[in-house]
Amino acid sequence: MKPDDLDRVLSQKEEILPSSGFAAAVMDAVRLEASAPPPIPFPWKRAVPGIAAACLAVVLVFVEAIRHQGPQQLPPAWLPVLELVIRVVTSPAVGWLTLTQLLAFASVTLSMRLSSGRG
Amino acid sequence: MSAHEDQADVERVLAGDTSAFEGIVRRWQGPLINLAYRFCWDRGRAEEMAQEAFLRAYRGLGKWRKEAAFSTWLFALAANLYRSELRRIPATVSLEEVAEPSDSRAADGGIEKVDRDRAVRRAVLALPPKYRETLILFYFHDMDVSAAAKSLGLPEGTVKARLYRGREILRSKLPPLLSAPRLREAL
Repeated sequence: MKPDDLDRVLSQKEEILPSSGFAAAVMDAVRLEASAPPPIPFPWKRAVPGIAAACLAVVLVFVEAIRHQGPQQLPPAWLPVLELVIRVVTSPAVGWLTLTQLLAFASVTLSMRLSSGRG
Repeated sequence: MSAHEDQADVERVLAGDTSAFEGIVRRWQGPLINLAYRFCWDRGRAEEMAQEAFLRAYRGLGKWRKEAAFSTWLFALAANLYRSELRRIPATVSLEEVAEPSDSRAADGGIEKVDRDRAVRRAVLALPPKYRETLILFYFHDMDVSAAAKSLGLPEGTVKARLYRGREILRSKLPPLLSAPRLREAL
C-alpha cells in the first residue's frame, strides 16, 4: 500500500447526519442542567482548620494516653512504633515540616487562584 | 461569520440566556458527531458522546479564554472526552458492520477497494490509543497538523512523531493482510 493510498482511505469523508431530534435532546439536557441548583461546594475554608485540629487532637490524646498508662502496659510489638511516634512528635523538625507544608499549600492555592483569574 | 456567531451566543449564554446555546449546538452538531463517529464507528454512541461533549461545553463556557477560536476550544474539549470514553470502553463494533451508504464501488466491481478501506480503518482502531487518536484527529482536520495538535493539547512535534510512528505501524501491518487471498474472511 502506498502512503498516498493510506491518506486517501483515512481522509475519506464518510459523513453521518445528526438524527432529527439530536439538537432538541441536547437542549433538553442543557435546560435540565441550567434549572438544577448549583452543587454546593465543599466548605474547605471551614473544614481545614477543623480537620487539622482533629488530627492534632488525636495525636495529642494518643501521646498523653501512652504517657499516663506507661509503655510497659502495651503489647511488646507496639513499643518500637510508640518510640518512633514519640520521637517524631517531640522532634523540633516537626515544626519546620509543618511550616513547609503550610507554605506549599499556600503557594499552590495562590497559584491556582491566579491561574483561574480569581486572584 | 461562524466565529462571530459563536462569540455572540456564548456571551448570551453567559448572561443567562440558555436558549442561545441552541445556535452553538446547531452549528457544531455535525462536526462533533462525525468526530465521535470516527472514534467509535457507532452512530448511537457517537451521538451520546457528542451530547455529553455539548453538556460539558455548556458547563465550561466561562473557561473559554477567547485567545483561540471557539471551535478550537470545542474540538479540544470533545476530543479529550472521546479519548477518555474510548479508553474506558473501547469500540467493539466491527467495521464489517459500518454502513458505507455513499460507496457505490462494490456494485462497480470495486469490492477489493471496499475491503481495503475497511481493513485500513480496522487497523487504525487496533493501533495503540496515542497513535489512533492522533491519526483520527489529523485526518478529521484535513491533515492539518497544527489543528490536530491543538485538539490533542500536544506540541506539533509530538503529533508529527506519533503520526509517523502510527503510519509506520499501519504500513507494516497492512500489506500482508491486504495480499491475503480470501480477504473478506480474514477481516
